[in-house]
Parts: sequence; C-alpha cells; structure tokens
Amino acid sequence: MAAAADGDSPELELPRRGPAEPELESEPEPELALAAELSARRSAEARQLVLSPRRLSGPLPAGLSQWFPALEVLDVSGTGLAEMGAELLSLPCLHTLLAKNNRLGGPGSLPKGLGQAPLARSLRVLNLSGNRFAEVPPALLRLHGLRSLSLGGNRLHSIPPDIQELRSLEFLYLGGNFITSIPPELAKLPCLKYLVLCDNKIQSIPPQLAQLHSLRSLSLHNNLLTYLPREILNLVHLEELSLRGNPLVVRFVRDLTYNPPSLQELAGRTIKTRNVPYAPSDLPETLVRYLSLASNCPNPKCGGVYFDSCVRQIKFVDFCGKYRLPLMHYLCSPECSSPYSSASQSSTSQSESDSEDEASVAAHRMQKVLLG
Amino acid sequence: MEQPVQTETWKAQSLEELVRILHKIFAEDKVSVEEVQALMESYESNPEEWLKYAKFDQYRYTRNLVDNGNGKFNLMILCWGEGHGSSIHDHTDSHCFMKILQGNLKETLFQWPEKKGNGEMTKKSERVLRDNQCAYINDSIGLHRVENISHTETAVSLHLYSPPFDTCNTFDQRTGHKHKVTMTFYSQYGERTVCATAVPQENN
Repeated sequence: MAAAADGDSPELELPRRGPAEPELESEPEPELALAAELSARRSAEARQLVLSPRRLSGPLPAGLSQWFPALEVLDVSGTGLAEMGAELLSLPCLHTLLAKNNRLGGPGSLPKGLGQAPLARSLRVLNLSGNRFAEVPPALLRLHGLRSLSLGGNRLHSIPPDIQELRSLEFLYLGGNFITSIPPELAKLPCLKYLVLCDNKIQSIPPQLAQLHSLRSLSLHNNLLTYLPREILNLVHLEELSLRGNPLVVRFVRDLTYNPPSLQELAGRTIKTRNVPYAPSDLPETLVRYLSLASNCPNPKCGGVYFDSCVRQIKFVDFCGKYRLPLMHYLCSPECSSPYSSASQSSTSQSESDSEDEASVAAHRMQKVLLG
Repeated sequence: MEQPVQTETWKAQSLEELVRILHKIFAEDKVSVEEVQALMESYESNPEEWLKYAKFDQYRYTRNLVDNGNGKFNLMILCWGEGHGSSIHDHTDSHCFMKILQGNLKETLFQWPEKKGNGEMTKKSERVLRDNQCAYINDSIGLHRVENISHTETAVSLHLYSPPFDTCNTFDQRTGHKHKVTMTFYSQYGERTVCATAVPQENN
C-alpha cells in the first residue's frame, strides 16, 4: 500500500503519488493503522511528507512531529481533512503546507494558538484551495511569514481588511469564490507580485490598488467590472492583466448626473487655485481638513481642484495600442475634458480617443497584456 | 496535408516512440490530419516520461519545446497553472494538435471577426478536454482560446504544430481587434531558456 521511502532522499511519500490524483472513494484510514504506519516509517531526516490521496478519518495523527521532526513540506491534499489539529503546531521547520481539496472551512479548521506558534513566523506557503471556507479565518492572518496563500475555489464572499497583516505576501490566489468587492487595505501588501481575483463577483476595483508597486500579474477575468480606475496605469511593473468575461463598457459613456458645487466647495476651490494663504489658526479644524482633501483635475490645461463635486467620466485609453480600456476619470466640471481625449472639449459623439501623452507613456510601461 | 491512399493506425507506447513515429509520418510528402490525431490520442500519458519538460511558471502558462521535428513540426509541452489561460489566437496557416497529458483544459472556439466589424467576437462552441483527448484546429476552422479553469489543479498539454511558427495574431474578444505577437519557449529539450529581448513579447 505504501511505497518504500528512499533512504537517501529526505522525501517520504505514503504512497508515491503522480501529478494527477483521482478522487478515491476508499474507506477512511483507520486512525490507529495510519499512526502505526507513520511511526514505523519515522525519520529524523525526512523533509517532505505526502499523505494524499489517502482518506483520513480524523485530524493529523498525534505524534507526527515526533516521527518527522525535520518536516518542511507537508501535503495533505485530497485526504478529506475537516480540521488540521494541534499536531500541526509542533512541526518546528514546516514552511509549506498543502491542504487543497479537503473539507476545511468550519470552526476549528485551523488549530487554536496558530497565531502564537512558531509556525506563524516560519510558514511560507499555504494552499487551502478547493475547501469550504466562507470567510478567511482570522487565525490565518497571523501567519506573518506567509509568502504564498491560495484560497481558490472556496466560498468566500469578502476579503478581510486585515489581509494587510500578511506583510510578506507575494502570491495571493482568490479565484473562484463569491467575492463582491475588494478592500482598499489589500493595496497595503508591499511585496505582492501576483494577485488572482478571477471568477468572482467583483463590480469595481478600488483605485488604491494602484499602490501595489510590486504587482506583476493581475487576474480579473470573469467578474462584473464595467470599468477600471485610471490609476491602474500607475502599476508600472504590471506585465499581465486579464480582463475577459467582464461587462466592460465599450461605448463612450458620459455620466450626466452632476451635482453643482456647494458654496463651501466653490470657496475651497478659490482658496486652492489662487493660493490664498491660510494657517490652521485661521480656520476651524474641519475646514483645514477639508482643504487638505482637494483633488487635482486631471485636465492639465485646467489646473483646477475639486472636493466632492466632480463629474465621473468613462474614457477609453488605447492600451498599449491593443485595445480600449474604459477608465474612470474624475473631472472638476463637465466643461473640463480629460487629458486622454483629443483637443475637442465636447464629446457627445463616440469619437475615438487617442492615447495622448500621459496615457501613452503609462501604457508603454505596461509591457505585456493578456487580451480580454 | 492531404489524405494518403492508406492510413496507418499507430499506437505510441511511450513519448519517445510517439516522437519516432511522428518523424516517420512527417518524412512523407503527404501527411493525414486524422492519422496524426489518432497517433497523439493513442499515447497514454505517463508523467515519468514528460516530467522533465513540465516546467511551470507562477504567472502564466509556459511553452516547453520537446522536439523540433527536423523543421517539419514543433512538438512542445504546455504547462498551465491554476487559472492560467491564453488569448484568443490564430495558428498562422499551420495545423495545431493539442493533447491533454494531465488535468483539464477548456477550449472556446471563435469565428474570425468581420473585416469591418468592431464588435464582440462570436463564440462558436466550447468544450472541456480531458485526459489523453487530442483536439485539432487550423485557421479555416476558426480561432480559439485555451484555459485551465481549475482553481485547484494544474494542467499539462502536448502540442504539435506543423509547419512550425513563432508568430501569430491575438484577438480582443470585445472588439475583434488583432495584434501580432512573437512566441517564445520557456524551455527547450528540458533546459530552461532565458531570452533577454528589448521588444515586449507575448508568450502565447
């Protein structure tokens, strides 16, 4: 039943598995029999242990860390595991845990005390795809050493803002869930290189996502996006972007609902554009703060600012000369035109928008794009 | 390729044998599509034989050259991580055979966009290809997109292109707009190849 362990190699497979694993309908492994077998195969040198595709009837056998103290990689994918058990916490060298296609997701899936265990600092790779998580377990967010996290194919409806605690995260796979929105805190992951959000129910991308300076690959296909924030062009290291299967707006759409600015807004604009000097002692604190929130109108010829009153426009940027991305702009008034349009102000027609200056420079920076 | 007078029924017992028989077939003046497809399907995927070519990349699918067919064809292995997919693309007047070695791949067929058209491309059909199945396409059949839609499993496929080509067109599904791209190999004959190029490329 179990393949013999190679005495020379630090890897132990029970049994030897190929890359493809069919789902087995075998009887669950009697706990005692498995414990006895693992004990018999104990090894102080073994660095990897693969338990799949056996079906486990309970959590990881107690004693695992005594039999395999040097374990660095543990693969319990496809074993039917419903909870990991405390044994996991006693594995001092574990850096990779693969537990996909199991029955994890309920309370107690992850062992208590995970956040305080040495594992919280040493675990680098965690794959929980194909399980039943309806929310990201808070304990998981204590794994501050985590570089790679996969929760693909679960039942997540949201991403917790505390995801930002996973400061070392480089790879985040959340495809195939029911996620409807992205918290701006996701952008606080400075090392994130690969972000997968495909096959979800996402309707908009927060502009803060452009702060993911390390992002190289962004997967957004099969969602509910109608446009993207123009800040996306700031992702200078982005080489892959997938957008297919989104109801992206194809025709130029002008949002005509424009709330005229309030007196406060008009006064604020004047102070800013005319550089009227003021000190914190001159104004109530609320107004000082209000003035600090001025946004610049993207129209370079305008140089104006706006606070709350702006026009949302969807403009199309000829993206790397390949296709048109609808990007959301905020302008200070309907008379302003965006830097991405051609010289003419009024754009009631579906005229082609050329890639000008700012847009084309930004577009050239993005080298490879997966066409939608 | 045209139909020869007699079509052999081959059974490739190993990847090496598959390559040997392919060389034999392609040495002839006339090669039959059905013959090649049947041969490709007859090979039962054995990971031990192709593992050395199966180099995965974290960010996107990879193309790994197995055999250059004496210039008559290219045989390569493509490795698809979870969620990895290709653009919609054509096949530069060549024949394309695609066999599943591991996992599953979804193939979506598209009609060629109208010359003057500027609208959403028309989907013709889609299917999920399973272990050892071999699909065939050429430009007269249409365009396709291939993707690994699994969020938990990787996929590996064996591709044969004849004649070999290193550029093709990719298409934007929403507009039909096409763009020529150059394709590169992630590895050749089991060795990782790193090409430093100034021109941006798409690995398609």
